[in-house]
Amino acid sequence: MNLILIPIILPLASALVLLIPAGRTRYLKETLAVLAAGVSMLAAASIFVTRPEPLSLAWLNDAITFTLRADSLSAFLLLAVSLFSLAISLYSFSYPWSFKGKGENCGAKWFYFNLLMTQAFAAGAVMADNMVAMLFFWEGLLVFLYTFIALSQNSHAARRTAMKAFLINAVTDLCLLAGVCITGYIAGTMSMSEISANKLTLDYGWSLFAYLLLLVGAVSKAGAFPFHTWIPDAATDSSAPFMAYVPAAIDKLLGIYFLARASIFLFTLNGSMQLLLMTLGAVTILVAVMMALVQSDYKRLLSYHAVSQTGYMILGIGTLNPIGIAGGLFHMINHATYKSCLFMTAGSVERQTGTSDLSKLGGLFSVMPVTGLCFIIAAAAISGIAPLNGFFSKELVYKGTLETGYTVFFFAAELGSFLTLASFLKLGHSVFFGKRPEALSETREAPISMLLPMLGLAAVCLAFGFGAQLPIEKFIAPALTTLGLQNFGELSGFHPDKLYFLSVIVILAAVINHMLGLAAGGGKANKASDHIHYAPVLKETYALAENRAFDLYEQVMDRVVPPFSNLLSRIDRGFDWLIDAMPSAVAGGSGRAISRFHTGSYPLYMALTIIGAVVYILLAGGLK
Amino acid sequence: MDKGLLAYLYIPLFTAVVIPFLPKSKPKLADLFANATLLAGLANLAWLCLRPSVIASGFISVPGNGLSLLLVGLIYLVALCVTFFSANYLPEAMPNRGAYYSLLMVSVAAMCGIVTTSDFFTLYVFIEVLAVTSFALITVDETLGGVEGALKYFLLTFPASALIMAGISILLLTLGSLSYESLRTAMSSGLPAGPVTFGVALMMLGFLIKSGVAPFHTWTPDAYQGAYAPVSAHLGGIVTKISGVYAVLKTATLMNFFDGRAQGLSSGIMFLGMLSIAVGALAALRQKDFKRMLAFSSISQVGYIVLAAGLGTPLAVIGAIFHLFNHATFKTVLFLNSASVERSAGTTDMTKLGGLEHSMPWTSWTSVIALLSTAGVPPLSGFWSKLLIILALWESGFKTYAVLALLFSIVTLAYFMMMQKKVFFGKKPAEAGAAPEVSPQLLAPAVLMSAIIVAAGLLFPYFYSYVRMAAERIIL
Repeated sequence: MNLILIPIILPLASALVLLIPAGRTRYLKETLAVLAAGVSMLAAASIFVTRPEPLSLAWLNDAITFTLRADSLSAFLLLAVSLFSLAISLYSFSYPWSFKGKGENCGAKWFYFNLLMTQAFAAGAVMADNMVAMLFFWEGLLVFLYTFIALSQNSHAARRTAMKAFLINAVTDLCLLAGVCITGYIAGTMSMSEISANKLTLDYGWSLFAYLLLLVGAVSKAGAFPFHTWIPDAATDSSAPFMAYVPAAIDKLLGIYFLARASIFLFTLNGSMQLLLMTLGAVTILVAVMMALVQSDYKRLLSYHAVSQTGYMILGIGTLNPIGIAGGLFHMINHATYKSCLFMTAGSVERQTGTSDLSKLGGLFSVMPVTGLCFIIAAAAISGIAPLNGFFSKELVYKGTLETGYTVFFFAAELGSFLTLASFLKLGHSVFFGKRPEALSETREAPISMLLPMLGLAAVCLAFGFGAQLPIEKFIAPALTTLGLQNFGELSGFHPDKLYFLSVIVILAAVINHMLGLAAGGGKANKASDHIHYAPVLKETYALAENRAFDLYEQVMDRVVPPFSNLLSRIDRGFDWLIDAMPSAVAGGSGRAISRFHTGSYPLYMALTIIGAVVYILLAGGLK
Repeated sequence: MDKGLLAYLYIPLFTAVVIPFLPKSKPKLADLFANATLLAGLANLAWLCLRPSVIASGFISVPGNGLSLLLVGLIYLVALCVTFFSANYLPEAMPNRGAYYSLLMVSVAAMCGIVTTSDFFTLYVFIEVLAVTSFALITVDETLGGVEGALKYFLLTFPASALIMAGISILLLTLGSLSYESLRTAMSSGLPAGPVTFGVALMMLGFLIKSGVAPFHTWTPDAYQGAYAPVSAHLGGIVTKISGVYAVLKTATLMNFFDGRAQGLSSGIMFLGMLSIAVGALAALRQKDFKRMLAFSSISQVGYIVLAAGLGTPLAVIGAIFHLFNHATFKTVLFLNSASVERSAGTTDMTKLGGLEHSMPWTSWTSVIALLSTAGVPPLSGFWSKLLIILALWESGFKTYAVLALLFSIVTLAYFMMMQKKVFFGKKPAEAGAAPEVSPQLLAPAVLMSAIIVAAGLLFPYFYSYVRMAAERIIL
């Protein structure tokens, strides 16, 4: 069997096998999943190193060739997907599942099933060269996104959020489907590598439309504004491992991967599209980080950051210059690393204390030092503090942005960094420092199975920071070459230039802001953002946002769907009346009249017979 | 008169004469004689028509008039079902048991006479014989309902006899002969045929009254409801079809309706057929009594045959013959099932019935087959005959009639579904008794007929080639 198939087939088969053992078995399913993820990881590493030949199968009667190709970009993505699967499956070993079905450990069973299925389809999606095959895997992910959320908790809210996530992604996936069809029609082939040999331009309407549809599909997968609204809901209505796996890692990887494929590989974009992408990125950064700043729940706060950081990636790709794209891709992998790590810390804190509400947490560093350390590293990385990985990728994005000449986006991104750091100061301070509440006096460190993956990802954050040259040379530069970019100059290396000093200023500003907030909030860390939350104008905006006034999905569901379904229902009633009520009323009415006529009276019957006969004879006599 | 088929007439007549001389102490002997006679006739016919070699040759080697043969077979089949059912249904101590069977045998003989004769006067005589026996058969049920039904039947159909007589007189005066052939020759001769057409129109009116076509249908519900259930099955299944509908069909083929010589008569008959379909179906929708609903359904189904006969194209005639056959099968099943329900649950009032499918599964499922066939649901036999009729209407340009015929078969389905729901499905009312399944002897005829419905539907190609052969022989 071709090596390329292993990362797809193995998790798929393991997921199915996993369903066989009874729900009560304690470590069997977990071990099986970890083993499957581990072997897939090895296979992915082997694919990355050896680059096996593409696998091509004639599909749909030769109409479509099912091709899996591991080029530099795909192999890199595959490696990342496998890495996170392994980390999360290890982490979830002793996660306290709240989903209870038949049997003790049903939550674990369904979690691992969904995890392995997601892994298999994600692996297929990044390796598929044919766009139809990619859509197949992409839609498979949608199915398991739904089951992942719906089976993570036994609550109405979980099912509702699952439906929300499903509908948002289903609509945007339909856009993607349409985009793929149009692109394939224009290009005359469904194979991405063949299209890239002769890139499409946006010069005429259909190709512009096609690209926009692909863009919607990609950024929605990545969770950008305005398709992000299910992520914060999922943060509270599903489990921390799910958040660490899907929205933090897999979705970002796939969304940005396809965004890069579509924007650089398939199409040649023009200036206005560049502006659109950069605006989308900047808006996503600012809107989401503003929301993150005022959250009072550990996971919900993180989930807004998961949206906000997507903005940097889109911004980076949108610059359309090699430095920016390199920054976008590097930020993609860095973000997955530290955001997964952060969600893992959230999961451990929740497991050990029973809550993720910031007002009930505090002073945990002394009792959970490893978790705290991981948090500090990951938080520093996300805030772009040198020399961690986030610093380097953001630096690249900034450079790329400055190179385009649109300075306004640079400032927006810097403002986003400032707010990111401010919110993480608030989060870290309220969870790990300050005074420990009475209720948490018995809290202890999380089990080793949770700490290990956390430490591993934190180590990656450090390694990709201090040794940023390695990932850039091994992963990012080959990927850029694959995308068709040459002569991109030096991407790595630490430069104490103006950008560096600006980032130091941003850090200082954030610390000062935190001090101010603490002073205004009476020393309570979880109220450190209240001076921004309740500032004039912002206060009203936040109130609207809390009421979901800016949530496109909720607005559509509340305002558009009910009248529309009402209208359809009325039309349906009309048809009902036409084919059911009206005919049966007519038939029933005439039937009643005819039945009433049959009274059984001789004279009446006789009269009828004779009149009928007379009329008949008169008519017959008239026939000549 | 088709001499080859005379034996089918004489033998039941002989049995009818013998039965009264059987010892009164052994009433079952009469059952035995009647059943044996009919069974022997059927076996003989089956040998004549259903040998593998005959089937293989596309029924070309069937002797004589194929339609007469088919109808004789049908008469024997329905009558056998009725006698077999009666043997187990009639009260043990029934005083006029012998007379009942004698009457049945005479009516079988009369029907055979009707379908084998080749001149109008003999036809008239046998129709009268049949009317008298039917009248007597209805009064076998000596309750008020039976007598009322019989009287209505007699009084409301007597104008028919007068009209047929008048028509025959005119025909004799103008044609000088009463044979079918002379009428056919006159119709195809091209001479002005005013009085002939008028005479035939009068006879036709008589036949229409006899077949219970609206607006002359008023006697049917009361007669069918009043009689014993096996008698209803006999009347509704075969007697009125032979004495009325067959005569209409036969006369229509003799008139060559499709060549446009008697356009007015043809369209008049088609109109009455359509009216019957509508009136019967709509009235059936509102009936509360099982047997009465079947009577109205019968009116509606007769409408289809008359409609096709009035059209008169070869395809329509094939459809009409096939529907005549199908009507006999499914209506017999339904009437016999209504008798079983009456025997078991004590009533045929549908408001007092319900949920019988659990205690009477065989009755329930044979009803389902029969009603689906009536409504024209594929692949049952009723589907094919209605399809042929509707196709023939469409082909000849009567699109409104075609659409209406189709719509009213939906109404047919509606009222029979309501019947099935009220009687067999749904919940059993509190006051209803246990209603156990009737004995296998009572079920056998319904099951046999249901099997024929399914078989005729599935083996439609064979059946079609037979009916086409029959239609070709009577039209050409």
